[in-house]
Amino acid sequence: MGFFHQVLPGIGTKYELETESGDLISVIFMPNGRVQLYTQPAQCPECYAADLNPMETRRLGNVLTGAIMEAEEEGVEIAFSALADLRIVVHTYIIREQLSGKSITDLNIRSRTGVTVLAVSRDGKNTVNPRPDFRFMAGDAVVVIGESDQIRTFEQEFME
Amino acid sequence: MEGIAIALAACVGVALICRRYAVPPIPFYIITGLLLGTAGLGIVETSDVSEWIAHMGLLFLLFTMGLHLHPGEVAKRRGSFLIAGIIDLCVNFAAGFAVAFCIGLPLYDAVVLAGAFYISSSAIALSSLIDNRKLGFRESDTVIWLMVFEDIMLVALLILFTAQEVSPFRIIGIILCVAIAAFACVWKFQGRLRQFFAREDELPILAVFLAVVVAVAVSEVTGVPDSLFVIILGSAVSLAAADRAEAVARPFREVFLVIFFVFFGISVSFSGVPSLLILASVIVLAIITKLVSALVIGKAVHGRVLSGIDIWTDTASRGEFSILLALLYGSPAVVPVVAAMVVVTSCFGSFTGKFSIHIRRWCGRIIAGK
Repeated sequence: MGFFHQVLPGIGTKYELETESGDLISVIFMPNGRVQLYTQPAQCPECYAADLNPMETRRLGNVLTGAIMEAEEEGVEIAFSALADLRIVVHTYIIREQLSGKSITDLNIRSRTGVTVLAVSRDGKNTVNPRPDFRFMAGDAVVVIGESDQIRTFEQEFME
Repeated sequence: MEGIAIALAACVGVALICRRYAVPPIPFYIITGLLLGTAGLGIVETSDVSEWIAHMGLLFLLFTMGLHLHPGEVAKRRGSFLIAGIIDLCVNFAAGFAVAFCIGLPLYDAVVLAGAFYISSSAIALSSLIDNRKLGFRESDTVIWLMVFEDIMLVALLILFTAQEVSPFRIIGIILCVAIAAFACVWKFQGRLRQFFAREDELPILAVFLAVVVAVAVSEVTGVPDSLFVIILGSAVSLAAADRAEAVARPFREVFLVIFFVFFGISVSFSGVPSLLILASVIVLAIITKLVSALVIGKAVHGRVLSGIDIWTDTASRGEFSILLALLYGSPAVVPVVAAMVVVTSCFGSFTGKFSIHIRRWCGRIIAGK
């Protein structure tokens, strides 16, 4: 496997990864923040290209590093190797109609699932560390943190 | 100012259409100028103001070109960079010189035409690679570094032409002094310079504009062209903050350069031009010689003649640097030949750049005998 990078004058910076099977992957970062991604299968003269904006680049990066990705919900799993390989998941969800008007205490989220609500985003405004009496509204985006089993329980209890 | 307003308004319309159909606007700015100016309707004439703005466009173009000449990155390139560059230079410069000699131009004009004939348009080549998504191909790296080699040769040509008017020792001495001073200053204060260019206020913008204006002032005192000074300044700044300096200079370059292209078209007169047949022959040869050099480069650097097709499709266009040489040093006999060559080859190059993959497949089938 080979990994190279070079400056392309007037274009940006190019990173090239040659996989064990001989496929070539090139990523070009341009000064305007856009990224072009190319794949060239081994023994094939054609290149397949995608042009990504900064948001799309970050999302693709999340996918490649193993984060959970869904249409409107996304998350990232962080592994702490110094803490007996502790794996923490941070995940976002959209609150549905049936939870609207209920508070964190009403739902008893932490004792039922083990996850903690880190933040809520409503109409472009963020509330970090919401109080226990914070009442959800349909459409709120919530950020929760916990281990993957706890996150799964949260999904089963409140999101299905 | 009415002339500038009319020309600029026409160029905004041209740019809109070109962006809509994803074609490079440079040849169409020149065609707009030809239609509005001496060769066409004659409704716009050049003025002192338009000449000043056009000159600033030229200087900002050269300043950003200098930003791409990072000495460390250029020094890292060896082998293939030199091989490709030398083949391109030998084939195209020699062919351009022979063409100029055949149409009866004197020696000085022949060298100017040879330079214009040799240098491809970096702007068209690079935008073709990005817009047509070809940066993943190894041949694209060759094209990009070929443009850098041509930029270095352009600097050599500018020194050569200036040495005709000022003593060669004097010019080389001044250039060396300015280059050493500029690189030493940037090297010494590169940390502070990086911080300065990271500022979000107007100071980096003012500093870049000041640097270019100072280059003009120093040029008037020393007799050395400002074009060489701004290239040196750009190359020195590339040591500290190439990306940020380019972002700051880009708006100046984009606006002033449009004026430069359109007023070049406005100033062109076809009255002293050789016959249409000769003009057409020059243009066809300009396209063919780039094909020949690209095929040789493809074989020498990538081991495949077909790679040369990819290289040719993006380097066939002549553009901003050919116009620069014709405007600064060409006689009235050279300017219209270069104008016609730039317009036709850049339109042709835009087309070949867009359809390069189909052209390569087609050539591949021919080579394979299918």
